[in-house]
Amino acid sequence: MARLLEQHTKALLAERGLAVPSGGEARTPVEAEETAGRLGGRVVVKALVPANRRGSAGAIRFAPDPASAGREAAELLGTVVCGWRVGSVLVEEALELEQELFFSVLLDQVRQAPLAFASASGGVDVEDVWSDRPEATRILVLDPRERPSPYRLRELWAAAGLSGPELMAASALSHAAVDVYFETDARLLELNPIGLVRRGEGVEAIAVGALLDVDDNALPRHPALAALARVGGRPPTPLEVQARKVAAFEPYRGTARFVELDGDIGLLCGGGGGSLVFFDAVQRAGGRAACLTELGGNPSEEKVRRLARVVLSCPGVKGLLVGHNITNNTQGDLVAKGVLAALDELGLGPSEFPVVAREVGTNDVEGRELLELAGIEYLGEETTMEEAAARIVERVRDPAGAA
Amino acid sequence: MVVRHMQAYGTAVVAGVTPGRGGREVEGVAVFDTIAAAVSACGGPFDAALVSVPPLAVLDAAEEAIGAGIRFLLVPTENVPLHDAARLLALAREAQATVVGPNSAGVIAPAAQLKFGALGGDQPDRAFVPGSIGVMSRSGGLTAEVGLQLKLRGLGVSTAVSVGGDAMIGTSPAELLRRFRADPETDLVVYVGEPGTQLEEDLAAALAEEPGGTPLVAVVLGRFIEAFPQGTSFGHAAAVVERGRGRPSDKIRALADAGALVADSFDEVFRLAQQAIGAQTR
Repeated sequence: MARLLEQHTKALLAERGLAVPSGGEARTPVEAEETAGRLGGRVVVKALVPANRRGSAGAIRFAPDPASAGREAAELLGTVVCGWRVGSVLVEEALELEQELFFSVLLDQVRQAPLAFASASGGVDVEDVWSDRPEATRILVLDPRERPSPYRLRELWAAAGLSGPELMAASALSHAAVDVYFETDARLLELNPIGLVRRGEGVEAIAVGALLDVDDNALPRHPALAALARVGGRPPTPLEVQARKVAAFEPYRGTARFVELDGDIGLLCGGGGGSLVFFDAVQRAGGRAACLTELGGNPSEEKVRRLARVVLSCPGVKGLLVGHNITNNTQGDLVAKGVLAALDELGLGPSEFPVVAREVGTNDVEGRELLELAGIEYLGEETTMEEAAARIVERVRDPAGAA
Repeated sequence: MVVRHMQAYGTAVVAGVTPGRGGREVEGVAVFDTIAAAVSACGGPFDAALVSVPPLAVLDAAEEAIGAGIRFLLVPTENVPLHDAARLLALAREAQATVVGPNSAGVIAPAAQLKFGALGGDQPDRAFVPGSIGVMSRSGGLTAEVGLQLKLRGLGVSTAVSVGGDAMIGTSPAELLRRFRADPETDLVVYVGEPGTQLEEDLAAALAEEPGGTPLVAVVLGRFIEAFPQGTSFGHAAAVVERGRGRPSDKIRALADAGALVADSFDEVFRLAQQAIGAQTR
């Protein structure tokens, strides 16, 4: 996922004519106090992290005056909320809301279609509304190829219990939001809450809380969003940042995915399913993986070398499993060369650092020759992937018992 | 490279289409600027299209293929934008076209010496020999590994399908199971699943439709990732456990309840397959 921070999401919504509260980003308590002074009256101070459920994490605070806005900002800045460090806060006018609504559009991968959710009970976690009172949420299934006519949003909100000016205001805002969802290739656009505010005789609907999660795969089409989005469910570790650079190197050749874990056996494996087989088998054999890596799609020797260096840099790594299912195109000789270069650069010799390779498929004869020449234990197709995983666990447990 | 390997195996590649490269030839195959031009030159319509283009071009190319009357599309491309995939699959449903993928390594039928996509690489015979087992897997690499391990145990494959590693795919394992059950050349089906999606739950429902039908040996990988935080993506984009949904243990239970022979580990798949085939031939 690629999430935008709330101030960016709101700027985008405002550009497209959706009403959002007045406010601004503050990086220091002084800035927060100044912004609150400029807005006047009661304000809300929100930690800017790319997560929902900030309310229940205590990261949304109300402040009656500028001085207390500064104090709230001081408390929030630098803390960790939902795994993310708070680098800045959003200071906004605290509106008098007549009613709070919930609205979201997401791509349902089971129905293979976008779904719009509407509920007249906003401001709370939608998972809770959904599980506690499913009847309070109304769902509209959209056609992925066509933006809906405005009347469909009116039907949705009417079913959710709105009428009169509230119905008209909520429908217009959510129709505009659906447009933003389509236009930005969103996985999720959540407005929670939509605040209904009385304006003279009428009612205005305002996007008080907003979260936009853009499809990573579509980011090349949206360079402006790509520059703002935070990718991933938690902040990446420094090694994961390095691995992303490896993946971006020669983007049209080779897959390189890497998730850092806290075990001691480095996995340089592929493809996607193959990685899971090796990982499961290492854990089942009583080992602990230092990472989960997916290397495939016929990477070059250089890409293998770079990813191998990342894997071998995992703190406390005591051994390496290089493994693939029989490959359709990934070349065993290039994998061997890349791995050997990385081991050599890091000064890891086969006598003190256990390495087991299970490489089968394209050019595996050449790969085997290179690995065996370097003193690395090579296992071929007659050894199953799970047996190879058990072997590295055994070698790491007893480094002296090499084959 | 893929075209050369397909031809070498015995698959007839009739025409290539690369906009702007019309008039050239690749591996002896004439290249056209548009599918329409290829159809008029070769006297189409064509049976199938391999949609081998970069992620952002997949939707456009697939629309062109479906518009030209092609009703079987294999999409190997990974990282197709989700909105594009949803549009493509909606269009295919409407046109009653079969889509395999996105993110599929291909389809292979060893007895017919037909292969579509990279599956099997340059030496398909190394992993796939003719036999009576239908194979389907969310992982392309493991589709070939299943073929190899079956072969090492004296078993062979009727058709193997890499269904695609993405969360949204065209032909689902559930649909394929129905097709394998209707196929007189298939006596057993092997399925390799992963965390995330609802594909295994749907497969379990399809299996229960016909209790005495062709048996299914299934494994769901990733049981050990359940210990990690939800939302962590392992491997394929699809292999994400979100909000407690898509857990391997739930999928395994659903498949076992529906009557599948569920393997505890990848290696056990082949022991179960051997037993099941042995039981049939006795």
